[in-house]
Amino acid sequence: MEKAAAENDDSGSVSLLVIVLDTNPSQRIVRQNPDNLSQCLDATVAFGNAHLMQKAQNKLAVISCHHHATDFLYPMPVKQLEVRQVDGQYEVFSLVEKTVKQRLSHIITNAPKITQPNESLLAGSMSMALCYVARMQRNAQPGVKIHSRILVLTGSNECASQYMTYMNVFFTAQKLGIVIDVCALDKSLSLLQQGCDITGGQYLRLTQLDGLLQYLLWVFLPDPKTRQMLVLPPPTKVDYRAACFCHREMIDIGYVCSVCLSIFCKFSPICTTCHTVFKVPGPLPPKPKKKKKV
Amino acid sequence: MDHHGEEEDPKEYRWETGYEKTWEAIKEDDDGLLDGAIADIIQKAKRKRQAQKTMQNKLGMMRHLYLMLDCSESMSVPDLKPTRLLCTLKLLEKFIEEFFDQNPISQMGLIVLKGKRAEKVTELTGTAKLHLKALDGLHKINLVGEPSLQNGLDLALKTLKVVPSHASREVLIIMGSLTTCDPIDINITIDALKQESIRCSVISLSAEIHVCRHLTQQTGGTYGAVLDDSHYRDQLLSHVDPPPAAQTQENSLIKMGFPHARQDEGKEKDPPLSMCMCHIENADEPSKITSAGFHCPQCHSKYCELPVECQTCGLTLVSAPHLARSYHHLFPVQNFTELVYNGQAAICYACQKPLTEATDKNVYRCEACSQIFCLDCDIFIHETLHTCVGCVTIPGAAAQVHARKPQAPPMGMLLGSSLGQRF
Repeated sequence: MEKAAAENDDSGSVSLLVIVLDTNPSQRIVRQNPDNLSQCLDATVAFGNAHLMQKAQNKLAVISCHHHATDFLYPMPVKQLEVRQVDGQYEVFSLVEKTVKQRLSHIITNAPKITQPNESLLAGSMSMALCYVARMQRNAQPGVKIHSRILVLTGSNECASQYMTYMNVFFTAQKLGIVIDVCALDKSLSLLQQGCDITGGQYLRLTQLDGLLQYLLWVFLPDPKTRQMLVLPPPTKVDYRAACFCHREMIDIGYVCSVCLSIFCKFSPICTTCHTVFKVPGPLPPKPKKKKKV
Repeated sequence: MDHHGEEEDPKEYRWETGYEKTWEAIKEDDDGLLDGAIADIIQKAKRKRQAQKTMQNKLGMMRHLYLMLDCSESMSVPDLKPTRLLCTLKLLEKFIEEFFDQNPISQMGLIVLKGKRAEKVTELTGTAKLHLKALDGLHKINLVGEPSLQNGLDLALKTLKVVPSHASREVLIIMGSLTTCDPIDINITIDALKQESIRCSVISLSAEIHVCRHLTQQTGGTYGAVLDDSHYRDQLLSHVDPPPAAQTQENSLIKMGFPHARQDEGKEKDPPLSMCMCHIENADEPSKITSAGFHCPQCHSKYCELPVECQTCGLTLVSAPHLARSYHHLFPVQNFTELVYNGQAAICYACQKPLTEATDKNVYRCEACSQIFCLDCDIFIHETLHTCVGCVTIPGAAAQVHARKPQAPPMGMLLGSSLGQRF
């Protein structure tokens, strides 16, 4: 018991929260009603401040994923803004709010005009978040344990072309012990859902945007240790089946190229990805099951 | 490759060589400070290993590796601290974890050489847990007698011979002893290994041994004698990356099953309770009756962990992310160009670290997206993340990256827009 108590008020543990906020104007919710973006932003800032409020040592970073670039909204890389205390508010809170809003308006005014909907490069933004977390973990003072989390807030559809990057991000996060939480504001996101499952994070798809802050505070504010004691939305079953590269159909049993690991649903003599020629299993019409037995 | 034999001035003890005239490498900078020089040495060491990695087109992705560990008397020598054996076990723990992290659909087994015998501690399996447990048991092993290289190789050969031809077969030997006690001519075994194209690599903890070098040369493996524990670690970890595919290795399509946890789709009721096949014969941890698990799509045997080979029908069971985990070997990030820092960028593109001349002698530029990275991010991107942060956040560059990679599988619902792409 004593040990547990010592761990609880341990000042050597710091919680770092990185929020990846999708600010891409191509999102359906933003196109329908541009006010939704400012609502998301307000909720993000309030949520970030709530995280900082839990403990003086807690750290926060906010990254915006815009249609043309990914940028840090908070903290500023070199020098922080100067803020004075206003209405007795804790300076750090006003610093977060002011920095985030100032940087985002800067990004939005400088962004090139879009002619057609662009995908959000969320996987890229997440990889940048990982680099930041890795740096914070490297620079941590000895004896200080940093528990890191990445929260992704997005209303975009996930794009299949980023699959590789997503997978690299998930496995890196798993390796570094970083939890990935996802709050889907619009469509359900099955790739990111896999990421939550791999890293032990929480996935939540909102049905209405109005209660965003409440959802965030209830579901994503408690750290992963505390979450075990809460009744949170039940984990959804994640489908890890593969889709074949040839027809893109979900398959139960498939053939995998031994050189490049491409997945096919039928036996073919040449791999379409790496152009390897395969050994044809016997003179009879391909019944590759035989070659398993040697 | 460095080994004791080729050093010009052989010293009797390890500590005599490693730290000779270290002060000569450290030079004061203009202000008379040493920080810069020390940072420089650290930087160089960090990048050395990364630069050595070469790009391979065809890799032996499905590896079957036997780890052969010398547990003879010579392993109790305390030249590696605290002893050779304990140092080895500590490093192997790390090695095994890295191995399965980087080679998710590979298998590994452990053989121990002691008292002129070879003993198989673990069979070829695809999970790290079993091996780590076995390693733990070796801490208290009695180190006696001489090792027998031939007996060990014969044992490995017997099992690896029957591994399917598309897999890469490897043996990694960790030798502490300078001698081996073999029943007959070892060349016969070496020829047999060569014939079966089993790649044998040796890490020697004492000195270079002719028969080991001969073995590695004949079978296409690598040979290394360790200088100290950090060199040992580097030698060991260099075996984590998959080797180039052997010439004789046959390419084939391998039948694999993709089990999914949810068996009764659409039905509301929970799947029936059942026992898993992986623990059914395990007396220590008996199989629990649960409703969760992965069912073989062919014979419906249940397993609690993936990847695994179905014990009933022999089908390899994996999940799609397992395969995806290996893709980065095939599409590695290009090495960045090293530049002397003179204000190319104010901050590192990836981690936002402010760059200054004092702390960052060199910065690194990705040739594809021309972003500037700090040293730590350079290492992190190439060793862990396997994705250039610049190339995947800038839309123009991202489009190029995505064009060369295997396109996303799963998700039927969101594929609409990307169907026109590569596959």
